[in-house]
Amino acid sequence: MDTTFALEMEGITKTFPGVKALDEVTLRVKPGTVHALMGENGAGKSTLMKCLFGIYQEDKGIIKLNGKEHRFKDSHDALNQGVSMIHQELSNVPERSVAENLYLGREPLNKFGLIDHKKMNVDTSTLLKDLEINVKPQVRIGSLSISMQQTCEIAKAVSYNASVVVMDEPTSSLTDNEVQHLFKIINQLRDQNVAVIYISHKMEEIFAIADEVSVMRDGQMIGTYDVAEMTNEKLISLMVGRDATLRFPEFKSNVGEVLLKVENLSSPNPRSFQDVCFEVHRGEILGIGGLVGAQRTELMEAIFGVRATSTGKIYVDNDEILNMTPRKAIDHGIGMITEDRRGSGIFPLMNISSNTSIASLKEYLNKLHLLKHKEMKEESVRYNKALRTKTPTMETLIQNLSGGNQQKVIISRWLMTLPDILIMDEPTRGIDVGAKYEIYQIMGQLVEQGKAIIMVSSEMPELIGMSHRVMVLCSGKCTGVLDKSECTQENIMRLATKFM
Amino acid sequence: MEMKKLLNDSKKVATQYTTWVTFVGLLLLLSILTNGQALRWSSIRNLLIAESVRSFAALGVGMIIITKGIDLSIGYVVCLTASVAASFAQNPDYSSAIYAGQSFPLIVPIIAAVAAGGLFGLFNGYLIAYGKLPPFIATLGSMSIAKGLQLIYTRAAVVGSLNQNFKNISQGSVGPVPNLIIYVAIVAFIVWVLLKHTRQGTHFYAIGGNAQAARVSGINVERDLMMVYFYAGLLYGTAGTLLASRLGLANSLTANGMELDAIAAVTVGGVSQNGGVGRVSGMMVGVFTMGLINYGMSFLGVDSYYQQLVKGFIIIVAVYFDMKKYARRA
Ligand SMILES: Nc1ncnc2c1ncn2[C@@H]1O[C@H](COP(=O)(O)OP(=O)(O)OP(=O)(O)O)[C@@H](O)[C@H]1O
Ligand SMILES: [Mg+2]
Repeated sequence: MDTTFALEMEGITKTFPGVKALDEVTLRVKPGTVHALMGENGAGKSTLMKCLFGIYQEDKGIIKLNGKEHRFKDSHDALNQGVSMIHQELSNVPERSVAENLYLGREPLNKFGLIDHKKMNVDTSTLLKDLEINVKPQVRIGSLSISMQQTCEIAKAVSYNASVVVMDEPTSSLTDNEVQHLFKIINQLRDQNVAVIYISHKMEEIFAIADEVSVMRDGQMIGTYDVAEMTNEKLISLMVGRDATLRFPEFKSNVGEVLLKVENLSSPNPRSFQDVCFEVHRGEILGIGGLVGAQRTELMEAIFGVRATSTGKIYVDNDEILNMTPRKAIDHGIGMITEDRRGSGIFPLMNISSNTSIASLKEYLNKLHLLKHKEMKEESVRYNKALRTKTPTMETLIQNLSGGNQQKVIISRWLMTLPDILIMDEPTRGIDVGAKYEIYQIMGQLVEQGKAIIMVSSEMPELIGMSHRVMVLCSGKCTGVLDKSECTQENIMRLATKFM
Repeated sequence: MEMKKLLNDSKKVATQYTTWVTFVGLLLLLSILTNGQALRWSSIRNLLIAESVRSFAALGVGMIIITKGIDLSIGYVVCLTASVAASFAQNPDYSSAIYAGQSFPLIVPIIAAVAAGGLFGLFNGYLIAYGKLPPFIATLGSMSIAKGLQLIYTRAAVVGSLNQNFKNISQGSVGPVPNLIIYVAIVAFIVWVLLKHTRQGTHFYAIGGNAQAARVSGINVERDLMMVYFYAGLLYGTAGTLLASRLGLANSLTANGMELDAIAAVTVGGVSQNGGVGRVSGMMVGVFTMGLINYGMSFLGVDSYYQQLVKGFIIIVAVYFDMKKYARRA
């Protein structure tokens, strides 16, 4: 063979208590290519990459960089050898500045051995400018939107000048424009002969950016293919091991009376949502579109009572609800799947069954007001079964599940509260194609039962495929509501960029 | 090969059940060193009695640590409540009694002490939950306040000469079982039910595990936080009452350093300082492990300076294993 590979991983095996996460996996990546890694939730993609990056130690197997064998004892070691990684879960220190986060662990020092803040800020500034990322190095990273934080993580991974860059679902919290931006950065890397490993559940992205694709299933490597010779259907069937399913299910729901009405809702922060009015009906899925910074999440959080409002009214079933809190919202039949899974979703040290039932404890009290553990667990099992959460047992801590499976547990949690109105903020983030279809089906069933769904989504196909109507926000203001017949990518984009 | 597997398995058990392994290990060690002398019922009984009061403090702070909080005020709050209880239980003919010449029904000292503890708990809880003070600072402040109140209330004197009825609360026994042990069992059971079988208990774990996620799950984080400090306060009040009853007096040195003993005990008992993790069984075993260490070393005649040293190491080792168990690797 004349080409040397930038990276070869051979016969990698990794076991966790109760799961064989990787079983003799082999992956070879050429320099100057973008190599997609695909597979269902829990297939072992992140685990494989964590073995490469020294976060996990493989039980067995060899890792070679440019033909030379390496054993990484930790991430520091991996970075030194020219491997950098964008993690599936945000991994920054929210209280520190952008620059401090970018240079975490390799802070430039001055001649007294103290941190050279000035150099750090200047270097960060240059780097961000090169990558056309518009953010100041001094701002606290936790104050940025999730997508901007993610963009900073990308900048960080690039800044190591590594020869292998791993991106584990880098776009799961980015909107289309930012994805295009990322692709530009990836193309630059490819031109610099860097090998990029790209993990994503979004098919469009794979076909747009990848040169080769490797497919994993249940901890095993199925094979590596040329993207040019691949079709959507073929890829899905390789991943799920059966024939590909439809993209969106059919569902017949009768759109009925108004269930939730929001009138002139404004945030006390003038840069956030202002003067928003809308209605959601029984049996309806209302999509919420917009770019990052459109304040969609903020609006949803305000409706659910997590965020303050200055003026405006919220009616559920024609009753005005004052001083909304999450508890009140739940009592009025509203549920909310939040966008930030790690920050406001999972209880890392609680098991799956407790994570599922936590929002519905009230429904499982006996006469003495003690919890009915058995019934609670049975219901948790039922919902997680329906969504096919992949886990060794229900007692497994949620932090040991793959990202997509954690998301399924959170969805189960809110389905279990039997909400009348379900707010879903990026519901299928990080979820594989098969499971996405199952979630869409469940959404269909809910609206068929006369429930209402509000779905914030940055995925155009999902927004267009699932919603009865789409409301579009731009810079905190509602720029229009599109009926099913007018829902096209162009129309949504036009409204989403109205003030830009 | 066999050996390696065995080693691996035992390592697994050791990390899974650190608390119990430490306890049983120490027990065995002690019985070997003393030819079984140390394990006679009378000795064990003394150990249980000696540790009983501390169990209340441990259960209280254990719940608080589950919510990712901490309480430094325990020692002085228990001291204050012991003094309050004692002041209402002095013999009326004792000339330097705080309420000289007056006698109160037996229920008064109990209620007064538990109420005082509860009030302190509410105060701490309010500062932490609604005032958003870090628990460390809030309880550092209230520790000093409790100490000041105790000195003012008792005029820095010993509150002694307690009546026999009051002393009987803790000094009596039902058959061979000392009253104190029965109280501990009852209270531990109540806390167990609270943590394991009520909504609020489940909420404590959730708040400690991820407060933001708890909030969006509809949990009233502030109220629950306030309540956890309140419950702990009630337990401290109980501890104060029983301590005064057992010692037959209270002074400004009563319960000195109990916060550290209690925090150490629950930590050894597997209650994680990172919040969201801990069980009542672990807390109790933790208390008795620490007691066993004290008692065992005294029994063996180890110099008390060395006792401190050994205790420190044991805490560190136990917590080390515990941190390994819950360490996030990703
Ligand atoms: N720290 C851990 N402890 C125990 N099991 C783990 C741990 N990390 C991962 N696993 C298990 O290993 C398997 C593979 O997980 P991995 O995170 O690699 O999946 P993935 O392919 O990245 O999925 P996703 O698309 O959902 O991110 C899963 O079954 C998961 O439960
Ligand atoms: Mg993953």
